[in-house]
Amino acid sequence: MKDVFELNFPLLNEMMTTVRLAVGGVCAMKGMDLDASEDCKVCVTESLLLLKHRGYLNAHVRFYEDGGLRVRISGEGEGKAENTSEDEISLALLNALLSNLETEEEDGKLSAFTFACGEQA
Amino acid sequence: MTENELFARYRETGDVAVRNLIVEKYLYIAAIIAKKFVGRGVEYDDLYQVASLALIKGVDRFDERKGLKFSTFITPTITGEIKNYFRDRSRLIHLPRKVSELRTRIEQASEELTHELGRKPSAAEIADRLSVTEEEVLMSAEAGGVVSLDRPSGEEDLSFYEVIPDDSDVFERLETHEELSAALKELSDAERTVVDYRFRQELSQADTARKLGVSQMYVSRMERRILQKLRERLKKSMAE
Repeated sequence: MKDVFELNFPLLNEMMTTVRLAVGGVCAMKGMDLDASEDCKVCVTESLLLLKHRGYLNAHVRFYEDGGLRVRISGEGEGKAENTSEDEISLALLNALLSNLETEEEDGKLSAFTFACGEQA
Repeated sequence: MTENELFARYRETGDVAVRNLIVEKYLYIAAIIAKKFVGRGVEYDDLYQVASLALIKGVDRFDERKGLKFSTFITPTITGEIKNYFRDRSRLIHLPRKVSELRTRIEQASEELTHELGRKPSAAEIADRLSVTEEEVLMSAEAGGVVSLDRPSGEEDLSFYEVIPDDSDVFERLETHEELSAALKELSDAERTVVDYRFRQELSQADTARKLGVSQMYVSRMERRILQKLRERLKKSMAE
């Protein structure tokens, strides 16, 4: 995949299934095995949930090639933040599944995640 | 009692009751993580089971003096155990793609021919329909079947279970078997029923709960209690 594949969508729970399907499609196109593809789906959805809980209204997911498949997930728009104890677990899960997680902050709150999927994860 | 106080108390006393308290308190983490891995061909109940066991092991290993929060410590532990579980499952023998595809075609042809002939077709008729040899049909039919370990192996009167080689020492296994039988006798009738459903018939916790007319949570708790009892009984008999 030489080109970039991007998704822009409102951060709503009902969007997650569609996003998972799209992630699965990109992973399949890259020839990843099912397990790696499932891990990538989990990481993307967990990142989206973390952004949603921080009050972002929209998400931008960008898949690109950089020595393997990489994903950048960022939040946009200002909404109401939610307090949930599950965030800590989500972050720990991302760190457990990925060895290359990069996070960005905006005004002290997490605003973007970047990681590699597949063998580089 | 705070998280750190609980762990400190467990570390100092080794009291199983304290450990159970900690496990109950954090069982929700096992449930959350297990849910994230649903959809990969393993039932939620089984994932929850793997996650719960990882939680118990994690409680034993956690050292609150290192300053890490338990949830941060346990999440990778549980995730790792679940991933290992998937890895072990994928090591099971898979049929070659060609064989599994032929099996599907055989099933379809068999259905069609049954409809056309008004009786079940022979292997030769199926082979003819699919333009493959009769031998290929017979081998494919044989290859994918699930075989009971109790089925006669063809060697004297022995079952497959008795002739398949085992890495573990046979005498050690016999001894464990005897100890386990003795330990099972000490369980109540209800507990033995749960053991039968869950470990002999291999029903899920949800199916066991349905059969017993209780909640899945009840079965889960009972199972934990049973395993704890058996573990302690076996430990004791090993020490003797």
